[in-house]
Amino acid sequence: MEKLNPYLRPHPDPLPRGEGVRTSDKSLALALIAPTLTVLLALSIYPLIYSIKISFQSQSGAPTLQNFTRLITDQFFFSALAHTFIYAAIALTVEFLIGLALAVLLNEQMRGRSAFRSLLLVPMMLPAVVVGVVWRLMLNSNFGAVNGTLKGWGVNPEALTWTASPKLAMASVIIADVWQWTPFMFLILLAGLQAIPQEPYEAALVDGSSAWQTFRHVTLPLLKPAILIALLLRSMDLLRVFDHIFIITEGGPGFATETLSLYIYRTAFRFSNFGYAAAMSFVLLLITNLISVGYIRLLQTREAT
Amino acid sequence: MRPGGFAKYFILTVASLAALAPVYWLITISFKHEVDQFAVPPKWFSFSPTLEHYADAFLARSFGQYLLNSLVVAVASTICALIIGSLAAYSLARFRLPRNLDRHLALWILSTRMFPAIVTAVPLFLIMRDLRLVNTRLSLVIVYTGFNLPFVVWMMRGFFAEVPRDLEEAALVDGDSRMGALRRVVLPLVAPGLAATAVFCLIVSWNEFLFALVLTQTDTAMTLPVGIAGRVTQYGIKWGAMSAAAVVAMIPILAFAMAVQKYLVRGLSLGAVKG
Repeated sequence: MEKLNPYLRPHPDPLPRGEGVRTSDKSLALALIAPTLTVLLALSIYPLIYSIKISFQSQSGAPTLQNFTRLITDQFFFSALAHTFIYAAIALTVEFLIGLALAVLLNEQMRGRSAFRSLLLVPMMLPAVVVGVVWRLMLNSNFGAVNGTLKGWGVNPEALTWTASPKLAMASVIIADVWQWTPFMFLILLAGLQAIPQEPYEAALVDGSSAWQTFRHVTLPLLKPAILIALLLRSMDLLRVFDHIFIITEGGPGFATETLSLYIYRTAFRFSNFGYAAAMSFVLLLITNLISVGYIRLLQTREAT
Repeated sequence: MRPGGFAKYFILTVASLAALAPVYWLITISFKHEVDQFAVPPKWFSFSPTLEHYADAFLARSFGQYLLNSLVVAVASTICALIIGSLAAYSLARFRLPRNLDRHLALWILSTRMFPAIVTAVPLFLIMRDLRLVNTRLSLVIVYTGFNLPFVVWMMRGFFAEVPRDLEEAALVDGDSRMGALRRVVLPLVAPGLAATAVFCLIVSWNEFLFALVLTQTDTAMTLPVGIAGRVTQYGIKWGAMSAAAVVAMIPILAFAMAVQKYLVRGLSLGAVKG
């Protein structure tokens, strides 16, 4: 089992800094990196520049600021923004709490531990499309296993139309997300727990701390870097969520589950308004960047103290 | 067993069931006759299995072609990313450039992975359209190669850094060239890491949805996830054929995932599995 999260404990630097480099080595070093840089420039930087260009063009190609001014008055944009944050906040909270609980449970030696760990990780590996199909089957209001099972328990599931109901559609896509990505939280947090040394626990035992006190005052502070990494990585993915929602509800019913990525997709590929789609995608980029900077600040303040 | 031990096993069992039951349900649907698929209460165990949906999906419908497209795209993009990325990774693990340029480059390479997919999907579609590459497998091979590169560079950089330099220097003293030493001494030592990295790339390319959706709309290039999604969102869904295709899309991934369990934490922190 891999114990070290590379973010928690970076790879040892293989070479001392400031060591002289022979010129022949330097050109070899650059020659080896060059293909990677070329590909990334062509596939990340060039598209980004291209995107900036079209965001300042009208559909006929004339220069304009319209794509950005339109944002302020576009109610679809604001409701997509709201859906994105609601989805991300709820899914992040639920995934974190369940993931942490499972990680704590599996953090000690016990029989069947590695079997449980493997089983719990299965959903995370699946293609998004499979997750989408699975949950459309599970939540189908006519023959889905969820409503069928509820009926078997004597609950009347008639009102639970899940993906067909504007209110429950959001819950449906969040359920699918929680199902697939809680294992990710669990895995990163478990790795974090296992990287905590034994000594602080022994000290807490000597002090006579209760299990809860130990968790609150020893485990949580020491786990903070792993928690922040897990939250950061999940937040980034949640804010740009596309696959699950596209497959399960396509943003519907109506636009009840349309997040920013889906609205950008609809604008570009249904309405062929690429300039406006590009403008919106910069808002998404800005949001994800601001949030990741926030997390990284938090990580650094911890290291400084 | 300690007090609380029972509760612990109970919770873990419930959690494992919650993780697996939906997958099991999908598998049963793919083997059920239509009457059993729609049975209420749901039939979890007792039904007579059939292979008709698999035949329907892969013989009567185009899922066989999608499967082939997925395979070609995943394997080709993985090979490209591994070759290009490993060279850069070796360089970043072994050479120091002036003014910490190597570190800046490594971080920049990783940061390109952090863009939300939809941000690059819009311009990449237009670029591919200009190049007349839309609806070709080549477009996906190119995009996935770029997608996997940062990941390959960072994974392999770690594995290269773990190889003791002395071994390589011994080979250099013996008269090997840098590249000769890389091939004969270093490569065999990082082979397990290379294999794990390859598996992660295969999983990412195999699972990828958004770019495939945007770049491929015809049978000649469409990958399995897009083919399945196309069926989901149409009226009159053939649940059986769709489930059968989903099961086939899932099986190689589960086999692969078991193979790379050891490297999962490292891989996931660097953005494997999801883009």
